[in-house]
Amino acid sequence: MTGLWGTLLFSLLIALPATALAALVGVPLAYFMARRQFTGKSLVEALVIIPLVLPPTVVGYVLIMMFGRRSLLGEPIANLTRDLATYFDPQSDYAGYGLLFTPEGGVLAAAVVAMPLLYLPAKAAFASIEREMEDIAKLNGASGWQTFWLVSLPIASRGVASGLVLGFARALGEFGATVMVMGLMPSRPMTLPVLVYSYWEQGTPSAAIGPVLLLSGIALLLAILFNRLPRG
Amino acid sequence: MAILPYLRRIGMRLPLKFQSVPAVVVVMVAFNPFASAEPITVSVAISLKPALQTMDAEYNRASGDTLTFNFGASGTLLGQIKAGAPVDLFISAADKQVSELIKDGLADAAGRQVIARGRLALIVPAKQTDTVTSFKEVATDKVERLAIGQPKTVPAGDYASQALAKADLSANVAEKLVYGTNVRQVLDYVVRGEVDAGLVYATDAKEAGETVKVVELIDPSLHDPIIYRAVVLKDAAHRAAAERFITYLLSDAGQRVLSEKGFDPATAAPQTTAPTTVPAR
Repeated sequence: MTGLWGTLLFSLLIALPATALAALVGVPLAYFMARRQFTGKSLVEALVIIPLVLPPTVVGYVLIMMFGRRSLLGEPIANLTRDLATYFDPQSDYAGYGLLFTPEGGVLAAAVVAMPLLYLPAKAAFASIEREMEDIAKLNGASGWQTFWLVSLPIASRGVASGLVLGFARALGEFGATVMVMGLMPSRPMTLPVLVYSYWEQGTPSAAIGPVLLLSGIALLLAILFNRLPRG
Repeated sequence: MAILPYLRRIGMRLPLKFQSVPAVVVVMVAFNPFASAEPITVSVAISLKPALQTMDAEYNRASGDTLTFNFGASGTLLGQIKAGAPVDLFISAADKQVSELIKDGLADAAGRQVIARGRLALIVPAKQTDTVTSFKEVATDKVERLAIGQPKTVPAGDYASQALAKADLSANVAEKLVYGTNVRQVLDYVVRGEVDAGLVYATDAKEAGETVKVVELIDPSLHDPIIYRAVVLKDAAHRAAAERFITYLLSDAGQRVLSEKGFDPATAAPQTTAPTTVPAR
């Protein structure tokens, strides 16, 4: 899995799960935030949106400080996996697990950065739904979940779809946070943006033309797709 | 009272009356034997950072010249220079980058100097238990991740991959390798326990102090000699000042600082044979 296509495949293997993860958290959160008022709401919202304006390197730094093997969350995770491995399978690759240098780490980093782009259009779409529609569904006996799945989400689907397109584009193009968390392992492909930087750093910028054209082409397609999505 | 600065400010606005002032300053600077005050831009291998930062203030006092450092992996710095970075002096952690500059006509072969030598060390996180006890053991299950510099841009990584190849370990560690974008990042990965072992310069290990443990100094016959080469660039804006700094680096004072930081002297004969295991410094 090397070369330009291997790199593209690997990039998709990071960006698609990252978009899915961001959607899994972002869409219900957007619905919740569009419907509920509570103290500290603006703080929660700010935390979700902040990766949009923070340099990705700061996101990467925060993730490393949280999930590194010697860090706040990373150390208990490493210890737990080590203990579990001693008990069940001493040969396990997950003994002393750390998020750094793993593709999962890249997925998490890309998801955090992509989340605001997914969250904002989704929230706007949920907020614009007339409350009567949901009230009618509830009057007809629909549960909260049923109302969400069968009424709110279908009505807001365009907003959610544009969020998915934007979030995926961002996840695919993410560089700073993913490169910090995933590092560079020669035994594994890089993502396309990292490949561009790596060619530049090695003093062979002309070799980067392939990934540059490919990324630009994909971005163009996604931009067209975004514009073609019917407006709600 | 505040009247004097006020008058001065008005005075400054009378150009004719004060035109001769800048000229006087220029003359004073030019004829002052103690302060030529030239700014020198030095692109330098990041492993030399502690040593050069130690020299910085003293050199400035002694020569009047100010040093501006640009630290990074030698290969990255080379790329910047080739792309036209305004650099006076380049100090690389290997001969390769300097040779390439000379080949490209960006520096003169005549002016290059070896300013220090180094050793490669296998290090492990100090806190880690059940670590490797020798270089050969990096091939075993004790090492899940081994950090080295990106061989194409980081000389320490180039030496490391030469040593791994020559010790017949390359195939066994291929899956475990993590590349650092410079040797200090490799060190940091080990310090923070993100990797189980790393190959850095002995000087980096020394700098990290208690946080890492040196397992073994790598046999120098396994890789090209580690030499730090300085060369003045052809396009240097401050050529003479850059040459003066090289002279300082080779002087007793300069070599003393380098030696305090763990570098071997520039004049040492290249090591041909050495014991495989040398006790950590």
